[in-house]
Amino acid sequence: MSQIKVTIDGQTLNAEEGQTILQVARENQIHIPSLCFDNRVSQNTSCFVCIVQDAESGQWMPSCSSQVQDGMKINSSTPEVEDMRKTALDLILSEHSGDCEAPCTLACPAHAKVEEYVRAGREGNHFEALKIIKERIPFPMSIGRVCPRFCEQDCRRNVKDQPVAINDFKRLAADLYYDEYLEDMEDLTGEKAAIIGAGPAGLGAAYFLRRAGIASDVYEKRAEPGGMLRYGIPEYRLPKDILEKELAHFEKMGGITINCNQELGQDIELEELKNNYDAVIMAVGCWQPSSMRTEGEELAWGGIDYLEKLASQNFEMEDPGETIVVGGGNTAMDCVRSSLRLTEEQVHCYYRRTAKQMPAEEYEYQEALEEGANFEFLTQPISLRKEGDKLVLKCIRMELGEPDASGRRRPIPVDDSEFEVKADTVIAAIGQKTIAPEGVPTNDWGDVEVKEDNCRVEDNLFAAGDCVSGPATIVEAVAGARRVANGVQAYLKDDTYKPPYLINVSRGHWQSVSEDELVYLQEPDESERVEQRHIDLDKRKQTFEEVSLTFTKDEVELEGKRCFECSCTAREDCQLKEHSEELGADPEAFSGEKIDHGYNVEHPEIVMDRGKCIKCGICIKICNEVVNEYLLGFKNRGYNTKIDTAFGQPLPVDCEECGECLEACPVGALDWKVKKNEEILKKLAEEK
Amino acid sequence: MPDLAALGQEKSNLIKALQEQQKEEGYISDQAIKDISREFDMAPVEVEGVVSFYTQFKRIKPGKYKIQVCDGTACHIIGSKLVLNWAKDHLGIAEGETDEEGLFSLDAVACLGCCSLAPVISINGKVYGDLTRKKLLKILEDYRAREEEV
Amino acid sequence: MINRIKIGMASCGVAAGAREVKDKIAEVAPEEKIVEVGCIGHCYAEPIVEIETDEGSIFYQDVEPDEEFINRMLELEDFSRFTPNPEREKWEKKFVTELSGKIDPVSLEEYRSRGGYQGLEKALEMEPGEVVEEVKTSYLRGRGGGGFPAGMKWSFLAAKEEEDKVIICNADEGDPGAFMDRTVMESIPHQMLEGMLIAAYATGANRLFIYCRAEYPLAVRNLNTAISQIEEAGLNKIGGEDIKITVKEGAGAFVCGEETALIHSLEGKRGTPRYRPPYPTDKGYKGRPSMINNVETFANVPLIIRLGGEEYAEIGTENSTGTKLFALAGDLEYSGLVEVPMGISIGDVIYGIGGAEEGSIKAVQIGGPSGGCIPEEYFDTPIDYDSLNELGAIMGSGGLIAISKGRCMVETARYFLDFTAKESCGKCTFCRIGTKRMLETLERVTGGEGTAEDVELLSELGPKIIKGSLCGLGQTAPNPVLTTLKYFKNEYLEHVEEKHCPALECDNLVEIEIDQETCIECGQCIKNCPVNVISDDFVIDNQDCTRCNSCIEVCPVDAIARVRKGGKVNVAN
Ligand SMILES: Cc1cc2nc3c(=O)[nH]c(=O)nc-3n(C[C@H](O)[C@H](O)[C@H](O)COP(=O)(O)O)c2cc1C
Ligand code: SF4
Ligand code: SF4
Ligand code: SF4
Ligand code: SF4
Ligand code: SF4
Ligand code: FES
Ligand code: FES
Ligand code: FES
Repeated sequence: MSQIKVTIDGQTLNAEEGQTILQVARENQIHIPSLCFDNRVSQNTSCFVCIVQDAESGQWMPSCSSQVQDGMKINSSTPEVEDMRKTALDLILSEHSGDCEAPCTLACPAHAKVEEYVRAGREGNHFEALKIIKERIPFPMSIGRVCPRFCEQDCRRNVKDQPVAINDFKRLAADLYYDEYLEDMEDLTGEKAAIIGAGPAGLGAAYFLRRAGIASDVYEKRAEPGGMLRYGIPEYRLPKDILEKELAHFEKMGGITINCNQELGQDIELEELKNNYDAVIMAVGCWQPSSMRTEGEELAWGGIDYLEKLASQNFEMEDPGETIVVGGGNTAMDCVRSSLRLTEEQVHCYYRRTAKQMPAEEYEYQEALEEGANFEFLTQPISLRKEGDKLVLKCIRMELGEPDASGRRRPIPVDDSEFEVKADTVIAAIGQKTIAPEGVPTNDWGDVEVKEDNCRVEDNLFAAGDCVSGPATIVEAVAGARRVANGVQAYLKDDTYKPPYLINVSRGHWQSVSEDELVYLQEPDESERVEQRHIDLDKRKQTFEEVSLTFTKDEVELEGKRCFECSCTAREDCQLKEHSEELGADPEAFSGEKIDHGYNVEHPEIVMDRGKCIKCGICIKICNEVVNEYLLGFKNRGYNTKIDTAFGQPLPVDCEECGECLEACPVGALDWKVKKNEEILKKLAEEK
Repeated sequence: MPDLAALGQEKSNLIKALQEQQKEEGYISDQAIKDISREFDMAPVEVEGVVSFYTQFKRIKPGKYKIQVCDGTACHIIGSKLVLNWAKDHLGIAEGETDEEGLFSLDAVACLGCCSLAPVISINGKVYGDLTRKKLLKILEDYRAREEEV
Repeated sequence: MINRIKIGMASCGVAAGAREVKDKIAEVAPEEKIVEVGCIGHCYAEPIVEIETDEGSIFYQDVEPDEEFINRMLELEDFSRFTPNPEREKWEKKFVTELSGKIDPVSLEEYRSRGGYQGLEKALEMEPGEVVEEVKTSYLRGRGGGGFPAGMKWSFLAAKEEEDKVIICNADEGDPGAFMDRTVMESIPHQMLEGMLIAAYATGANRLFIYCRAEYPLAVRNLNTAISQIEEAGLNKIGGEDIKITVKEGAGAFVCGEETALIHSLEGKRGTPRYRPPYPTDKGYKGRPSMINNVETFANVPLIIRLGGEEYAEIGTENSTGTKLFALAGDLEYSGLVEVPMGISIGDVIYGIGGAEEGSIKAVQIGGPSGGCIPEEYFDTPIDYDSLNELGAIMGSGGLIAISKGRCMVETARYFLDFTAKESCGKCTFCRIGTKRMLETLERVTGGEGTAEDVELLSELGPKIIKGSLCGLGQTAPNPVLTTLKYFKNEYLEHVEEKHCPALECDNLVEIEIDQETCIECGQCIKNCPVNVISDDFVIDNQDCTRCNSCIEVCPVDAIARVRKGGKVNVAN
């Protein structure tokens, strides 16, 4: 073999005749991505992700198959080359169908690894489940009770019947092991942040910072920490002793100090904090009730004020008498259901649209009905006045008109339909707004303005939670907490935080998937969703005792068998995903037909999911050229090409002993069926 | 089954063997794939791969009369798409399908080599050119009528 | 006095009814000697019968298998006489196909009596190297599309020292509108085989294959007959060795025209190409050095040897010598096979030979699905390899389609891409998925759902497919789209911006309308509408109309027309 010289990206290298460009590059630690190359088998030259350009002739070539020539000059990292590679990946992704990540995990604002903790729960490993949950969710006992279950809304199981009761896995795991569990934490670095607001976002940020070794002082203006968890969510949904347990855990973690009765502008000053701490995070929430914009509205309670008062009095309050709650959101439901527990009189809820359009969770509405609330829809208050000791609310009936900007049909008043009702208490629960501290930049909605990638406001000031997003949910606050903690860490390391570019191929939202398009690793259990058990209705009407009960271990295990295990077996080692993320490829870059070639899980250990096959041909050649069998082959041609076995039969059981093709498949088209949580946990640990 | 031994069990004769097979049965059945792969000492999946690569090979039994609608350039320009649609409508089958009685099957093919007669179809190899809808339907109905007589 | 009756029995003639004619003549005049000959290139006039008399030949066109017709013809009455268009005679140069239609394709003697196998004899008297040199001197370029100099390719194979070398004749003729090679094989098979035998002598190859498209049964039959005649006559004994010639039929895959795919197919495998190098001349059929040339390329060879390379090179232009066969199609008076000297202008072919109405053609598509369109303003471009490349088109194998002003360029591009996308072997990313995505985008445009971004996508993705595809199929597939985009972008934009197909071809952008003024209420349309959407008062429900054109076709007074959807703008055809 004679020695020759080639130049790759300006680097002149020694090579041997007969070597491919890719070989030479790899020997010299020059990275060229590849998908269809495997040095044990003959060339496939299929993916063209390894494409390079001859700097002189402008000729394009697949580096895995092109041999070096003396004096050759190769471009492997120019923008043109990277663009060609990205386009190759865009194209491959556009014919690819699979789910890198399970829809539930993607739907969870905090991206808790849902499928994994559901699996742990199913297997009875609730401690492991808790560990996975706590990687993303600092308050699993609380969120396990009050989360509106975004994950379940997107759960693929919806195609068949009801979603997996995901949130109950968190609740059980946390209830069982909260006291024992303590997360891994970095040693304290000496850096310290000030956090304004001890609600879910503020405490959440403290949690994620602490795990990264950064201490914090949390300042809270109210008498006790917890924010919305304490003052916004009533006892019957989230008992305060649960919150105390969560707070106690913070204490156990060390490095987080909570200072109450510290109001910004009075007891503490923003500038001072900025000077005294490495970073300041504002997480003051949304506490200003929105106006009803009606005459006499000062006679009504603001919804959030009402709940705050109730909580601060330990859920003991004078009988409100006949009550009208105006609004249709979760705060309105909390007000309705709290009032029901305080009075024997009627409690009404007036909402200007229809039941279907209420932003409140369906189950909240149902439970309020069970507890005896009276709902009046298409009803809008127009004025409020006092007559004797009664309040008189004047309303008008509405009907639905044309759709508005949000796509919901806009309610419009019905002429001459005004009427008056009397009540003892009126609560306006129509929304909340942020009260941004003086001098902090805000957006059109009045919320604090932050940079999207690192949640930074300015200088060393950051913000997160409702005061950034407007009124949202605990889990969203917690998601924001993690983002801000990442932003702060990056800031302290003196680089701007760039969230990693991640891709997710998806088979589509369950609403666009039909039952025969479902793909699962093993046949899921046919049983119906386990129904949530509640305390007696009488008790619910009289007391603030927690309404719903934690699932039993049996119930969770049963429920877990209903999961399809949607995510891809190859997620952690998929080369398509890896290169796509590296080159910024996008599954949505091209749209077009995807062919459903089906999948086969009849083999006890092996899954063949043809929708994920990139037609690289490696498995065929491994089987044939390395193993000396011929069990796999391509069928059809062109866009219809698919990988298959003879007559679509499952692979022989003996393949278990070999598995060479599965190991070689660059994606999840041919893979072992197992998904192991250890790998997830390891990866989560590495991320930190 | 064709005389495979005569083909010398030489892999390069696989396509020939498949062509013979198709000539005999009109299509390539699973059984034929099994037999031929045994004869040629090849993996069935490889033979299936070859069969499914080439459009000539049919995996379902075609109709007694195989209609090929030419969609070569000359025919296309003159309106082969319409001819195909007329045939589809009339027979109630799509491309690549065979009707219920097993009488007709329909395919669109590239140039049949009679471009000057475009648009052209062939039925079991017999070419009909300069088609109009009327002419096409008459040809098809003549075949059907002849069949009913028998 | 009738000596012989010749009937054109190439596929075109047979399709037009030549067999029936032949049977009828045999019945009416059993005493006459009837000879089946090949195609003389005037396919539009088939069935053609040539009656050889002592005074020369008389040609009849559109001959009917009818006793009266035949009797009148045998009386040499002056009717239905065939006289080729004189314009055409002016431009055409019958050279390679000189004997086509004149001789019985499967008569070795007849071929020999016309100079056949003299080239081979002459070659055998030369040194093999001299033969290669002669071909180099002729500057014959490959007629299969690429235009690679044949002599050079021969010298690569000749230089190989392996004992077993293979020559393959590429007779896959995949261009969906071309039939030059078929005509050669059907009409003058010996000429092509002679070329192959000369190549075998020149390069030292000892095994010959012809890879023939599956749909050419007559070509296969004639070739096989010719091969047995060669074997019988011992013409295949070269250098003391009997050279085996085998015809192998393809099985329906355009990509198998690509050299490496063809070799895989010959080996009994899926016809997927592989990366080159190594080139087939280094590593081909079963690993042996193999050389592939096209049918027409081989058919030129005997003439080169007979005339000498230098004289041959006089024909055509400096860089494109000889003649080229074209299959003319489209909006022409005389379509069919023509042979022209290289360097003739496009305009002369379509107006001079094709007889198109002056000014009626807005573009030609040359090179089939791998080629591109050339607009009217370039019709004086000479047809040679380099001039065509400059315009973004290619010589291709010989498909040449005239596109009149009444046709939609977007639809034409879509048609070709639909073909290549379906014919992609599926191996490499850019071709397998890229062509599909482009096709889907074009379908949106012709379907009235396209956007300006779609047009943008086509012009961005197209060049990437060219750069990133493994073989010639993908590397050329975007050409029809890119050239129409280059020269007819306005048509694309009208489809996406105005939702209007100027040619009224794209079904989703047109409606069918009955002009009530003209309509004579004959009811033919109602009777013929396959989906019954024409009301009793002669109004078409365009919602359910399938745009099948049946009504337009049957209306005796041309009252029905395609009109722009939504608007009533009628477009001149
Ligand atoms: C997709 C594709 C299809 C082809 N089809 C044919 C064909 O049908 N006939 C042919 O002669 N060459 C065809 N070619 C060109 C051949 O690969 C090859 O270049 C040619 O046969 C060489 O012969 P020549 O040098 O005599 O032209 C095709 C090439 C490609 C990429
Ligand atoms: S194979 Fe890779 S890209 Fe495809 S779903 Fe699995 S992880 Fe995602
Ligand atoms: S079926 Fe399982 S993995 Fe899939 S979305 Fe539902 S919980 Fe997640
Ligand atoms: S299944 Fe085979 S061909 Fe498909 S991606 Fe995996 S290794 Fe490649
Ligand atoms: S360019 Fe197309 S036909 Fe050629 S190898 Fe790639 S996929 Fe196959
Ligand atoms: S174009 Fe066809 S479908 Fe439409 S009205 Fe005319 S005949 Fe009927
Ligand atoms: S083409 Fe080179 S790695 Fe796929
Ligand atoms: S959606 Fe993930 S915790 Fe609720
Ligand atoms: S295009 Fe139809 S016969 Fe040639």
